[in-house]
Amino acid sequence: MELTITKNATCTFCGCVCDDIELHSDTERIVETKRACILGESWFRNHTAERLYPDALIDGEPATVDEAVEEAAEYLYNAHMPLVYGLSNVTCETQREAVALAEMIGGVVDSHTSL
Amino acid sequence: MGGKVTCTLGEVKNRADLIIYWGGNPAECHPRHFTKYTLTQKGKFIPKGRKDRTMILVDIRETPSAKAADIFLQVRPNKDFEVLSALRALVKGQRIDAARAAETGLTVEQLQDFADRMKQARFGVLFFGMGLSMTRGKHMNSAALLSLAAELNAFTKFVAMPMRGHGNVTGGDVIMRWTTGYPFGVNLSRGYPRFNPGEFSTVDLLLRGDNDAALILGADPGATMPQPAIDHLARIPTITLDPKVTHTSRLSRVHITTAATGISAPGTVYRMDEIPLPLRPPLKSPYPTDEEVVRRIYKAVAKKPMWLPLLEPTAKG
Repeated sequence: MELTITKNATCTFCGCVCDDIELHSDTERIVETKRACILGESWFRNHTAERLYPDALIDGEPATVDEAVEEAAEYLYNAHMPLVYGLSNVTCETQREAVALAEMIGGVVDSHTSL
Repeated sequence: MGGKVTCTLGEVKNRADLIIYWGGNPAECHPRHFTKYTLTQKGKFIPKGRKDRTMILVDIRETPSAKAADIFLQVRPNKDFEVLSALRALVKGQRIDAARAAETGLTVEQLQDFADRMKQARFGVLFFGMGLSMTRGKHMNSAALLSLAAELNAFTKFVAMPMRGHGNVTGGDVIMRWTTGYPFGVNLSRGYPRFNPGEFSTVDLLLRGDNDAALILGADPGATMPQPAIDHLARIPTITLDPKVTHTSRLSRVHITTAATGISAPGTVYRMDEIPLPLRPPLKSPYPTDEEVVRRIYKAVAKKPMWLPLLEPTAKG
């Protein structure tokens, strides 16, 4: 099978955010990484596009994303002091949405920086 | 006291002739930091690369990064603030007490040599890691180091930069600064942002049991936080978004699987020197992105009546 080559890919494992990585991939997984360090290589190889997990879980039982989104919204809306935490391994676009959500639910938004 | 005198990694590459790592182990935690940005690269004003640069490593134990260093200074655990204070005094030409210097694990001669090298550098940079910011003194250690870098500008060009761990933790600071005015631990429960680390920082909130629901994304606190904080996350309704079913997912009421950032999810990520870089994801995920899921939760909450009483019309009008 022919491999897709992605040049100047960006690695988000650590704060170096190296943006000169060459990735060789098929439709499901990355099979080769060039210029990535040992941490970057395991990062790229450990994430695939396979369906390994259920779309969503509610109380440990498989559920649809729609159901899970409604359930999440209900919990966050009913909370007096909800917390939005993490934001380290997501994009800036996601972080912006998360801050907007935290404002609407009247909660605290925080990242790994506070540790 | 406050503020950070800093620069980009490109300037470090092109100009820095004195590189100091404090409380960090880049050889193992940021393996390409030496070779891509700082130590071994040739730069515009550093024509001979490694030969034109001096590297000093300050840490409490000899890590593999010490092999790359010209000088390794081993300080006693929890004495970083004292060492930084002594350096600030020496830089200003003040004398320090030999017995008190010895308590830090370094001699007055070593400290004097360190201070002299910093003053004599053409362009110095202090990279500081979690070994500085997460030990006794915490943010006061960072403040002392940032002050040292700022004060050295009376003699030469000197900058400081934190060695950020996770991929886009820098982006989190930047986005929160831009949207709320504060970099982390922002409390919006009164409808406007309030900032007070120690009160509104996550571990403190969870240890006190202040939160009654949590949304976790781009993190796995269930594997990394102190146990009492994890226990509280398990007590309250926790919602986790992650490409994998994590420790946090297992203690959550709701888990939603999302595409992996940079691998199957596109977007922007900030490097540790606050340079934004675009992602080029090579794969297509069967799962939605974090961005899409957060937006959908936002829309689902937006359908409900607004909680904030200040926005309701008052009886008096």
